[in-house]
Amino acid sequence: MSEGKTTDDVVESLHGVAQEMHDRMLKGTAPTMTLPVRTKKNIEFDKRLGVYKYGKKRTVRDATSLRSARQLLRALHIIEFIEEMIDAGKSSTLREMYYISEGWGHGKFGNQNESNNLAEDLEIVTKCMREDFKLRPEEDGSRMIGNMTINERNRRGEWMRINARDDVGDSGYGVPYNVESEKLELVEHDVDFIMAIETGGMFDRLVENGFDEDFRAGLLHLKGQPARSTRRILKRMNEEWNLPIVVFLDGDPWSFRIFASIAYGAIKTAHISEYLATPSATYLGITADDILAYDLPSDDLSNKDIEALKAELTDPRFADGWWQQQIKMMLDTGKKAEQQSLAKYGLDYVTDTYLPEKLADLGLS
Amino acid sequence: MQQASISEFFEKNKHFLGFDTLQRSIITAVKESVDNSLDACEEARYLPTIEIEIHKVPGKSDELLMISQDNGPGIPPDAITRVFGSLLFGSRFHTIRQTRGQQGIGITGVVMYSQLTTGKHTHVISKVEKEATAVHLNIGLDTKKNKAISSNRKREHWFNAEGELIPHGVRVEARMKAKYQRGKQSVYQYLRMTSIVNPHASISFRVFDEGGAVIDGGDWPRVTDVLPTPVKEIRPHPHGLEIGSLQRFLRESDERKMTSFLRRNFSGVSMRAARDILARAEIDEARRPTTVKAEEAQGLLAAFRQVRIMPPPTDCLSPIEDLLIKKGLSKAIDSRFVSTITRSPTVASGNPFQVEVGLIFGIDMPADGPVEVLRFANRVPLMYQQGGCLLTKAIESVDWKKYGLDHPGGRGIPKGPAAILIHLASTNVQFTSEAKEAVSDNEEVLGEFRLALQEVGRGLRSHKRKSKQREKAKEKFELVNVILPAISEKVSAILGREEPPLAPVISNIMNAVFLEETTEWDPAEKVTRCSFQMFNYTPRPRQYTLLATWPEREGIEIVDESREGKREAKGLRKWKMDTLPPGENVTVSFALDGLTKGDWTEFEVFFRGAGDIIGATKLDEKLLEEIRREEEAGIERQDLLSTEGDEEFSTGELDEVAPDADGTSAVVQSPDEESRADGGADAETAQREASEVTGQSNLNDWRVGE
Ligand SMILES: Nc1ncnc2c1ncn2[C@@H]1O[C@H](COP(=O)(O)OP(=O)(O)OP(=O)(O)O)[C@@H](O)[C@H]1O
Ligand SMILES: [Mg+2]
Repeated sequence: MSEGKTTDDVVESLHGVAQEMHDRMLKGTAPTMTLPVRTKKNIEFDKRLGVYKYGKKRTVRDATSLRSARQLLRALHIIEFIEEMIDAGKSSTLREMYYISEGWGHGKFGNQNESNNLAEDLEIVTKCMREDFKLRPEEDGSRMIGNMTINERNRRGEWMRINARDDVGDSGYGVPYNVESEKLELVEHDVDFIMAIETGGMFDRLVENGFDEDFRAGLLHLKGQPARSTRRILKRMNEEWNLPIVVFLDGDPWSFRIFASIAYGAIKTAHISEYLATPSATYLGITADDILAYDLPSDDLSNKDIEALKAELTDPRFADGWWQQQIKMMLDTGKKAEQQSLAKYGLDYVTDTYLPEKLADLGLS
Repeated sequence: MQQASISEFFEKNKHFLGFDTLQRSIITAVKESVDNSLDACEEARYLPTIEIEIHKVPGKSDELLMISQDNGPGIPPDAITRVFGSLLFGSRFHTIRQTRGQQGIGITGVVMYSQLTTGKHTHVISKVEKEATAVHLNIGLDTKKNKAISSNRKREHWFNAEGELIPHGVRVEARMKAKYQRGKQSVYQYLRMTSIVNPHASISFRVFDEGGAVIDGGDWPRVTDVLPTPVKEIRPHPHGLEIGSLQRFLRESDERKMTSFLRRNFSGVSMRAARDILARAEIDEARRPTTVKAEEAQGLLAAFRQVRIMPPPTDCLSPIEDLLIKKGLSKAIDSRFVSTITRSPTVASGNPFQVEVGLIFGIDMPADGPVEVLRFANRVPLMYQQGGCLLTKAIESVDWKKYGLDHPGGRGIPKGPAAILIHLASTNVQFTSEAKEAVSDNEEVLGEFRLALQEVGRGLRSHKRKSKQREKAKEKFELVNVILPAISEKVSAILGREEPPLAPVISNIMNAVFLEETTEWDPAEKVTRCSFQMFNYTPRPRQYTLLATWPEREGIEIVDESREGKREAKGLRKWKMDTLPPGENVTVSFALDGLTKGDWTEFEVFFRGAGDIIGATKLDEKLLEEIRREEEAGIERQDLLSTEGDEEFSTGELDEVAPDADGTSAVVQSPDEESRADGGADAETAQREASEVTGQSNLNDWRVGE
């Protein structure tokens, strides 16, 4: 993804991290690692890219506490490990690296979350991508159904041509973790838009009802918080095929966040928002109004939900008027609803009535 | 008493005799036996081994057989029948002393209850050391003649289960209507509590069902060979006297003169005080006590209040002592932290008393319920009427939140996985009722308990703070000793550079002085080894005076000191340290002789000097002053008491001596003496040369144990 980075560049930027620590120690002070603050307080809208990126706030992780010192040591182990993989022409999954760290003595990780986060930290500091580091995620990729044709390079290095309607079973085409052009090509399609769907149950309902054919739609199952590859393929389809992206999620604060990560960039990956975010994506539903307008069976907001909504009110990604109104309305009514609550009116209601009405609002049907 | 009257007597008094319910009757029977065994062993200076058995009687669902056996001195053959068969035959009816048995009703009550409920006699075996054989007999009550009768009396050798001769002791077997159960009020809990406050006793307990199978029980082995200090008998103090007792003393006195009557019957009354009292009561000094009338006695009582009388001696009390409380608690409760304190004895309205408190954090105790309250009066467990008891109120009155215990709303018993032991030792414990279940309100006693509870609270708080500090220090040490070198090595390997010098980095990161202390039992030398190590991880040289706490008291000595220290105050040792350059460390070690394993497991280090030391506490000079003041007050107290002893020695002869010749009276009647209890005595007048003499420790709670 980070076009134009040679392995030498990667090694050099990794050495920059070690260099900072060495310099500090030579000065007789605690070694440090400087990285952007990774919270919503430090994401800014990048006008040129149309997405949210980390701002200028920096945090210095210095070895004056045991925790931070351990982080630095781990980072060094990762750097060494990446260099070894680059030299040997190998790659490993993040999970494999986590297990390999067992042998790193005091540099070993407590859990995989720690090692994932640290790999991300290194991406951010070095402005490299984990693909540059030869690290692969295990994230569960998404699946797609619809009249879209894709070329994927298989394990033997041969390109395979797959049509996501004719060449797949009911579970659709499985999106691989690497969706970059060296691995995956978008060949052709005959659809009008892509619909990204939060839950498997709803995805399967639309497939069973033949929604993709009736409405000339490409369907994509997000599997909850979408993996990087999912967001990346959405962006590529949007840019390369010029297709609108509509997002169909549950009506709750967490879905709002999923949408924000698709459209504006996720806080955790704001350093690569320009690769992952699709600013033109639209939120189709379930909206806070829908819960009232369609009289959907709903649940009361939990304390956590309320906290999340309040946090969203001050999140720059939700600063626009429509989102502020949605969030406040949900707080006022105190209700949330699932996608599948539409089944209250029958199994076909979602494809016969709800989606057509919502799509019509957007001018897509 | 006729049979009817014995039954009547029982009916009327069964509540305060402790036989009002079937569940309680068995507890009472065990308690009377065990109390007697402990009293007898203590008096004869034997380490008690007590075995209690309860057997369910086949075919009788509400009958139990209680067996108790001790290894005490036994009862002289000619006294056995009276002990078990007549009321008010106590050995110490007229003396004032802190013992469990007070009235001489206890064991006879058991014999009566047994006979009245089952018609059976009580079987007793008693063996005194100097005789070859033991007396075996059955004791009952002749209900017609109202006297004890014995039957089947014989003299025989007495063997234990292993076939060995038993050298001395008493065994009691009594059958009674009773019910055995577990719970907060049970034989089990009574014995458990008894074992806590009697760490010198071995107690075992078994319950058998009709078939002879063991269905319940417990073993509480002895954890110390130190017997409680023998208590001295004292004469009553005029300030604690009631009119009834005064009249009785007058009536029964064979003194010829009122002056000698006052001086010989009561403690604290000097010649001068006696004359002063009599003058105020307008009673002639030469009057015969037996001729004093009721109104005159009343006047005497009033005069007692107007005259300065020296407080009674307090060596008649038998506290458990903080280190032993800790042991006792630890044997019944698996603990993480124990803090105990024994306050100095004090006097309230003529009665010497002393309070003791222990706080223990248990490992398997429930964390969300109220803490377990273990109440004791004169080493006797109090199991009933918890709510109405002064001891409970004292616990409730402390703001436990301040000390890190959960105390919702600041009311009631605090919550947490802990137990609070609370003991009142006094020659005259005032109970709310004759059943002796709850201690009645008394401001002075409450005040003493509050001080003691607050002190164990402070112990808890400082323990918690210290654990946190220790955790922090541990992390820092790992950081600079392990992680930092690893970082340096890795960085240099990755960059292919030389490793940077780490010393400046380390002092930059730590920028503090650290102190770590350890306490270990040395099994080879039988000493407790204490040491602390101070690290200067700052860029500047540091100079401190360090002070460590230790359980200073008679029989405990500091040995093997690696650097010569000095006594700063009671229980506080001081070392003036050399200047410690940056990056260096120094260790001080010492050992404590005279303790046993587990007595002392944690100590505290204080410092004097600029800047903080992580792992030590800046010495609070105000607190130190207070310690010194208390200590000096204690010395003066001792001094006063020993003067009284001298006087006692020469009573009688002094009768005719002029008051001014009574060399001690000036000290004894100093105007400060009444306020002595709160340390108000003029410290400067205390004899300096006596400063090594120690009374009961006030400072005992220096963090014992973890
Ligand atoms: N197990 C024993 N070993 C030796 N002496 C005993 C034993 N049990 C009782 N005695 C003697 O018998 C006396 C009477 O005992 P009893 O229990 O009746 O009264 P008490 O203990 O003096 O007072 P209380 O009524 O408070 O129990 C005791 O004071 C003690 O001298
Ligand atoms: Mg008794």
